[in-house]
Amino acid sequence: MLLDFDKLGAWKWALSAICAVMALFLLLPILFIVALSFGSSRWLIFPPPGWTLKWYEELFADPRWIGAALTSAKIGVIVMVFSVALGLLASLALVRGTFRGRAVLRAFFLTPMVLPVVIVAVALYAAFLRLGLNGTLPGFVIAHLIVALPFAIITISGALETFDPSIEDAAILCGASPWEARLRVTLPGIRHGLFSAAIFSFLISWDEVVLAIFMASPSLQTLPVKVWTTLRQDLTPVIAAASTLLVALTVILMIVAALIRKGKSE
Amino acid sequence: MTTPFLHINGIRKTYGDVVATDHVELSIAEGEFMTFLGPSGSGKSTTLYILAGFQDPTAGDIKLRGQSILRTPSHKRNIGMVFQRYTLFPHLSVGENVAFPLRVRRMGQAEVAAKVKRALSLVRLDGFEDRMPAKMSGGQQQRVALARALVYDPPVLLMDEPLSALDKKLREEIQFEIRRIHQETGVTILYVTHDQEEALRLSDRIAIFNRGKIEQVGTGPELYANPATHFVADFIGDSAFLSGRLATLQGGRAAIRFEGGQQIVDVPLHGAGQEGQAADLMLRPERMELTPEAGPAGASLPVTVQDITFLGNCTSVAARTDWGDALTVRLNFGHPLAGRVARGDRLNVRWSPEAAHAFVRS
Repeated sequence: MLLDFDKLGAWKWALSAICAVMALFLLLPILFIVALSFGSSRWLIFPPPGWTLKWYEELFADPRWIGAALTSAKIGVIVMVFSVALGLLASLALVRGTFRGRAVLRAFFLTPMVLPVVIVAVALYAAFLRLGLNGTLPGFVIAHLIVALPFAIITISGALETFDPSIEDAAILCGASPWEARLRVTLPGIRHGLFSAAIFSFLISWDEVVLAIFMASPSLQTLPVKVWTTLRQDLTPVIAAASTLLVALTVILMIVAALIRKGKSE
Repeated sequence: MTTPFLHINGIRKTYGDVVATDHVELSIAEGEFMTFLGPSGSGKSTTLYILAGFQDPTAGDIKLRGQSILRTPSHKRNIGMVFQRYTLFPHLSVGENVAFPLRVRRMGQAEVAAKVKRALSLVRLDGFEDRMPAKMSGGQQQRVALARALVYDPPVLLMDEPLSALDKKLREEIQFEIRRIHQETGVTILYVTHDQEEALRLSDRIAIFNRGKIEQVGTGPELYANPATHFVADFIGDSAFLSGRLATLQGGRAAIRFEGGQQIVDVPLHGAGQEGQAADLMLRPERMELTPEAGPAGASLPVTVQDITFLGNCTSVAARTDWGDALTVRLNFGHPLAGRVARGDRLNVRWSPEAAHAFVRS
């Protein structure tokens, strides 16, 4: 390797220090929030004067928080299903297709990744006003699908590109119709990619706040929106508890995704 | 005339201006082992893929037992195929891989189990049912692929350079297995390769492909003894080609004159030519002999030794003619000259008359 870590000499320590600082920089706010959610002070004092679970009790006793969490989960799951299904079809076309303009189409599919989310949100809000979709479940799902789909397409296309099309050809000569071959051979062959795409799609929806604020109505809001609106009214440690749970699910799903990738490489 | 078992009838395939195959015409008998031999891009794989139905020909037809198969989609052609790359289904065990063609044909469980067992036994992988493909060597994987392609008793088996990813020793081992399986099953095999040794070892007949066309079809010995074109002569066997001009022509035989005036007489001429036209004299290496003294006039040439390589069972002597063409002569182990020949030696090459062929340069 050009840059061998073991041969860097004194630089090794500098590099390690930079990595540690970066990790702390990224992780400290989260650790801070987690600590506060267990702190006994009403005023989010750090370090906490004592430890308690009462903010969690308050959180679980409040039907509005529970409702928001369930809404988030519901939207996340629906987005996940559609994102994987559409992502798979789009990837099949982009990777296996031979039509002209594939590169352009791929770039087009990926634009939501680089477009500022707030612009997408304003545009959707205006469009949904006409269609009456603001504040509805389909509205949320469509909005989140727009930002989740590029990730699904990247992940599934990647898996499909490493899956030799000759294997599909072999299945077809074995007597499977082209769709049967895809269903029984290609899909199981890229299942790691599909699982990763599902987890990322769910997480993108689960964490998303900008689009959700535009889509939300008093009766329908997701957990990040509930955190946001509560924060503006009243700075209670319940927010820290809700945030901790949000982060916890995210971390668990990221670990699952990492395990899937590890399983694939073995 | 009886209908041929498999008839490739004037297949032509073009991609825009590029002609991949040009009027490929071939009849294959039932149970025959036919090899398509040629360099890459010669149209041999394209022809095979048209047979498999992955590509449609621009013109021509393919008939199996007198029936055109071109309108039948690939998955209904009931053709077996082993690919160049490893194509086992990675998520299925060996047993389920071999069972796959039977499962899509909705065959009963007991029959599937019996056929899978028989197919694995045919490729000498008894008891490997539960193994996953990723845990097997390349040679084993290709043998499973062979079992999977044969388990549904297809009338034709296509093989597209199935051994090119394997090392030489393993390749020879599996070539032997393929021969045995061909004899045991009697299946008609179309085999694509660019390796002449492999083609000679396996095939009943070989079709030599070059630039989208079949140059010649015949058994190995036929092609070796009577190459129809310069290309065939060059592709089969490590022949020497000496460049000269046609001196005299008479009834399909010619005399060739080389630079410096030496003349080789009475060699069979392939291709139409006139006196004075450029032509090559082809000499097979095993029919040439090195001698210190000059041979009979018209069937021998003086050469200068350039390099000597000991190869175990023989010594390979690279030499040059006076006008600079290279040729290689093998001396068997124990040949009186083998230990004595040295770089720069002036020797004579002579050959038996039937070993020389003349080809008009195109």
